Amino acid sequence: MRTARRRRTGAAVALVSTALLLTAACGSSDDSDGGGGSADAGSCQPAGKPVTLTFTSWVPGMQATVDLWNKNNPDIQVDYKEVVGGNQGTYQAYSNQIKAGKTPDVGMIEFDNLPSFRLQDGLTNVGGCQPVQDAEGKYVDWAISQTSFGEDGAVYGIPMDIGPMAIYYRKDLFDKAGIPVPTTWDEYYDAAKKIKAEGGVIGDFPTDQPAWFTSLAWQNGARWFSVDDDSWTVSLDDDATQQVADYWQKLIDEDLVDTIPGLGDPQWKALDSGQEWSIIGAAWTTKLLESSAPKTAGKWAVAPMPQWTAGDNAAGNWGGSTAVVFKDSKYPYEASEFATWAFSNLDALALNNKNGGQYPATTEGQEQLPALTEGLPYYGDQKVWEVFAQAAAGVDPSFQWGPTMTDTYAALADGIGKAVNGQGTLDDALTAAQAKTIETMKAQSLTVSD
Amino acid sequence: MTALPWTRGHSTRRHHRAAIGFLAPFLVAFALFYVLPIGYAVYQSFLKIEREGTFGRAHDVWGGLSQYAEVVHDSDFWDSLVNVGQFFLVSVPLQLVLALVFALLLDSPVLRAHRFFRLALFAPYAVPGVIAALMWGFLYSPGTTPIPGIADRFDLLGPDLVMVAIASVVNWVYTGYNMLIIYSALTAIPAEVIEAATVDGAGQVRIAWSIKIPHVTPALVLTGVFSIIGTLQLFNEPQIFRTISSAVSSTYTPNMVVYATSSIPNYHLAAAYSVVLALITCALSFVFLKATQRRAFQ
Repeated sequence: MRTARRRRTGAAVALVSTALLLTAACGSSDDSDGGGGSADAGSCQPAGKPVTLTFTSWVPGMQATVDLWNKNNPDIQVDYKEVVGGNQGTYQAYSNQIKAGKTPDVGMIEFDNLPSFRLQDGLTNVGGCQPVQDAEGKYVDWAISQTSFGEDGAVYGIPMDIGPMAIYYRKDLFDKAGIPVPTTWDEYYDAAKKIKAEGGVIGDFPTDQPAWFTSLAWQNGARWFSVDDDSWTVSLDDDATQQVADYWQKLIDEDLVDTIPGLGDPQWKALDSGQEWSIIGAAWTTKLLESSAPKTAGKWAVAPMPQWTAGDNAAGNWGGSTAVVFKDSKYPYEASEFATWAFSNLDALALNNKNGGQYPATTEGQEQLPALTEGLPYYGDQKVWEVFAQAAAGVDPSFQWGPTMTDTYAALADGIGKAVNGQGTLDDALTAAQAKTIETMKAQSLTVSD
Repeated sequence: MTALPWTRGHSTRRHHRAAIGFLAPFLVAFALFYVLPIGYAVYQSFLKIEREGTFGRAHDVWGGLSQYAEVVHDSDFWDSLVNVGQFFLVSVPLQLVLALVFALLLDSPVLRAHRFFRLALFAPYAVPGVIAALMWGFLYSPGTTPIPGIADRFDLLGPDLVMVAIASVVNWVYTGYNMLIIYSALTAIPAEVIEAATVDGAGQVRIAWSIKIPHVTPALVLTGVFSIIGTLQLFNEPQIFRTISSAVSSTYTPNMVVYATSSIPNYHLAAAYSVVLALITCALSFVFLKATQRRAFQ
């Protein structure tokens, strides 16, 4: 008797654990056609009555921008909710909300994840909405064109901010050692060797930031994804990317760069202690570096990214996001009116920059925001934003993101992890990520040409 | 009317109604939060996606066993099972031996301040796994550790040792928990038995070996089953370590494979992984119980 009861307890334990597991796998309700109310060109009309919109993002202090809008627009009130970062859970939440038909009207999605939500049919094409057409010209070309997916006149997301890249370097250390700031990748390699001789490291190859590697490939003109005739072409291992991979493999092999996770305490500590002399970062790194490496204030400067061909002005873009109008929104006109205002109006941009550290996606914002025209004490009073405005103009417009970037990044990060641990090379990482991406896309019933 | 004869059938019916009344709240919750989600996941695992064109709307269609075919062929998933298998060997034997030793010490008159030690050993279990992993990760990272000697000498976050590093976090959290299960089994041993042994001249070690350990074997088996389940479901700790170590891949454990797949999002394949993982968990727990019950539950 006792035996039997004990045994049942054991079985029950196993069963309960099974149940816990399975619940974790469950998303939301079955997908219906969700009303199918797409707001394509022509159908984007004002509601003609007061409306309330919902908006979620993870930009710090976005509430202030929303408050300013609400004060001036009594008929279009925005209900704002701050959420966690996209990859920290909000993207998963969006996916579930799209399935359940319960999305906010406006949401934040980074550029690299936009195709994934387009693929889930979660986004409204606001290209036909008057407010978008009025504002379109203000945005940096490549930023707005990234949101069309090659469809004429389509806009699936309104650029919020962008992340043009540059090199942040310890001016004092470079000067003292008599090492010129590298303007090409060859010079970067030479500088790396000299810095190593000085007992330091030029910088980090962040093992957990596949998006960083992606933007370096982007700078070199990589084309990872393209679409023709309803079929995708995937070429993560194209020549441009392989050149970048081989270059960094050489630096890793010769122990000229650190290989620690990026943007976390280990890297900040290495930068603040003078172990690492530079970091290749985006516009948004400016404030992050300032708050994360406070001891070295005043010793930093910013220069354009090293080039593959001397004299070029090619920059990568790392990060940046868009405000999308979700398919379930009943008010695409008002939603796009709010979103274009919030990310192109100068007052709004000033708030976004002050509170959220956003670098604007409009040329007007980049050139005219008072905060973006002054020198920064942390960078020895250098007008660093001029470097980023120049970089923003040099980003290759034809780079396209894939529809399953989460998975592509994961595969890439796994491969990079193996490479820095001596279990393969960065080239192997590209090959593996290429294969995994194609497999995942095929599982999404997408046509991929070989 | 006078009282009817108390018939057997009548009483059974009444009992049934009362039983259903008492059980209803549980059954409703059980159906809603266990049966339904499991059924839904199983159903999802039999579907697949179809769409037309590059960005065409996706439709769920019946896929039969196609997701399961994917699971069978997926090397990441099976590699992750090998990983947790190794993890089990690295972590669990040590954890259970420690738990048993601590429980025996707590139960023996040798140790003073029982209450303090019981609480102190159990306290790590009150720390959420994520926090524990962050704390230990901080200690293990070369950049942040307050004990630089260790991080310099051993690459605790490298491919060779990272599993030991993660196992140490898991052991730190769960040893106290398992200890408590074993300890409560020890306290159930009748005092006369111990007295009799003492009168017979048995020392503490002899009592522990010949009386206490055989007596708590069922509890040890239970902790073993918990450990099998816990190891197969390992997620928080390696997920946190992924942010500080390049040696932990996104598919390090089976649950991480499920998570990575569902964030693509590919719910159908993720559901199939979950079902397979659940079946494997059931099977292993069952085999473990079968193998140990003859010894444990005589």
